[in-house]
Amino acid sequence: MNTLHIAKKEIVSALRNKSTFLFMLAFPIALMLILGLALSNAFSGSIEIADVKMAYKIDQASPELAAGWESFAKAAEESGIEIIALPPGQDGKQAVIEAQYAAFADVSDKGIAYYDNSRSTIESNILQGMLTSFADRYNLQAAFASAGLSSQTGDGQAPAQLVKATSLTADSQPNSMDYYAVAMTTMIALYAALNAASLIESERTRHTIVRLSAAPVSKAEIFAGKVLGSTFINAIFLVTVMLISHFAFGANWGDHPVQVLLVLVTEVLMSIGFGLAAGMIFRGKASHSFLLIFIQIASFVGGAYFPVTDFGGFIGTVSYYSPLRWNNAGVIETVFGGDAAPALQAAGYNLAAAIFLLAVCMFLIRRRETI
Amino acid sequence: MNIIEIGGLTKKFGDFAAVDNMSLTLKEGEIFGFLGANGAGKSTTISMIASLLRPTKGEIKFLGKNIAKHAHFAKMNIGIVPQDLAIYEDMTAFENVKFFAGLYGFRGSELKARVEEALSFVGLGDKQKELPKNFSGGMKRRLNIACAIAHRPKLIIMDEPTVGIDPHSRNYILQSVKELNRMGCTILYTSHYMEEVEEICTRIAIVDHGKIIADGTKEQLKAIITDSKEIWIDVKSVEGLNQERLKEIRGVLSVRIEEQRLKIQSRAEIANLNDIVQQLIRDGMEIRAVEEQAPNLETVFLTLTGRNLRD
Repeated sequence: MNTLHIAKKEIVSALRNKSTFLFMLAFPIALMLILGLALSNAFSGSIEIADVKMAYKIDQASPELAAGWESFAKAAEESGIEIIALPPGQDGKQAVIEAQYAAFADVSDKGIAYYDNSRSTIESNILQGMLTSFADRYNLQAAFASAGLSSQTGDGQAPAQLVKATSLTADSQPNSMDYYAVAMTTMIALYAALNAASLIESERTRHTIVRLSAAPVSKAEIFAGKVLGSTFINAIFLVTVMLISHFAFGANWGDHPVQVLLVLVTEVLMSIGFGLAAGMIFRGKASHSFLLIFIQIASFVGGAYFPVTDFGGFIGTVSYYSPLRWNNAGVIETVFGGDAAPALQAAGYNLAAAIFLLAVCMFLIRRRETI
Repeated sequence: MNIIEIGGLTKKFGDFAAVDNMSLTLKEGEIFGFLGANGAGKSTTISMIASLLRPTKGEIKFLGKNIAKHAHFAKMNIGIVPQDLAIYEDMTAFENVKFFAGLYGFRGSELKARVEEALSFVGLGDKQKELPKNFSGGMKRRLNIACAIAHRPKLIIMDEPTVGIDPHSRNYILQSVKELNRMGCTILYTSHYMEEVEEICTRIAIVDHGKIIADGTKEQLKAIITDSKEIWIDVKSVEGLNQERLKEIRGVLSVRIEEQRLKIQSRAEIANLNDIVQQLIRDGMEIRAVEEQAPNLETVFLTLTGRNLRD
């Protein structure tokens, strides 16, 4: 009962602390908003481009090539690209320089001469890719024809696509707001360590440790009450951040909210254990400095500010030890992969680390005369 | 009945013995004064009685039970008023007392009643919903006491409960201590203010270098040094005073200068006032007042320890 009594007091104190509110709610939400909006393009799978126009001339071409080109131009126009034949006498290259067209193709049996405008890089790349595809297919058909084979499909139509590329995760990639909702929430869970560092030390500086120690309450009850209260209040803050990110910014938290919450709560527990241990080992402001440095590095290499792929080298190795890396991966894979296993794995790591750290703290407390 | 029995109590920090083989008893119903300069061992002794520190050697019994083995029983019946304010500034007076009283197992209406009783007792009944940060120093001190008494302890340990407060609040607290004693509480009281101890304590122990060097009623303590007296002489200026010649006068034990006052301790049975005055005149002192005093607790303390209480 005393554990709950102490936990309740921790919760009341935390709720009255305006700076805690600012830090645990306003800070992650503001960062989420800023990073989510500022870096939205980096997460987008499509871009909008203006109408693409390509000019061409076709001279000394075989009937097969002319027919093939005709078929290509028709297919391209269905994709919204204008393929325009230049009248005799007009200089295609000059027209491209004057930006009337994104590119100019000079088609003949000798091949396709392709000219583009460096100011229209994206459009040029699209057209170049299409032309390469057309040339490859035409060459293949020509090879079939010379070998006496038919390249026609059973229905008599030219094969539209010899290779079909399908993105395995095209429909389940997080957008920037989704990503930063997760990253900021896991980051703020790690910041729970900062408050935890002063959970016991603040009692010492306020001298209330004397009353707690003189009361008929064991060290374990005081410790458990503090951890329980702090975990609960941090979990409430995280759920609030999740709800705001979902309803205000449309962030996707997937179909496994319980598993995601489990990751976050166990991360908070681990952070509290880490903060308490740091507070006991370093004491005072030194513990805060240590934790701030640790959290910043862990956030940077763990994907709080940008998605982590592979840094390589020393930083790459370090990044694997950042709690944020395994927590971000666990949540994102569960939210966007639809599988709860990554979340449970991350929660398992968190829980193991939390048990170890809290055991260290309890050991240190037992060695002291007063808590 | 003895509420506290201390036998052979020792507490060492490394090689330093903060409390050195101390033995002491407190009887139920006493207001026991614990006097000692800073570092004498008072706080360490108090901390061991309150189970905040473990003795290196010796034992402490509370109502006949060893507190090392019956810590829960002892803690349930002891209240401590720490020297430093031990309250939460972000919680109201009511919440502070409620939290600490709740640690003793009280819940619901009983807890509420005890909190209200404690706050009323210290005169904060009408400030229950206010935050301590809005309180004066005296009010905070009173709240500090309320947090220690809500569980109705049999023994209340008060460590310098009146430090840094105005005379009105100090008087209120002293009256509260007497009232708690009348209600049946035993009080263990430490203070740097000798007059407080003289006013309220029924028995006093003087601690020095971790040992009790004297204990008894204030009359018994004063009787220890009935063979000496204090002579206070006000002079215009102490410039040119020859202290060594004064100390050579028959019966003079010590000479101290406090601003423009000479404090001379002398053996009581020797009439040497004329000799002292004549020596001062020879040294060119202009005498303005002469006063002879019987020894008080301060004198007792100084005589026994060789230093002032506030050193």
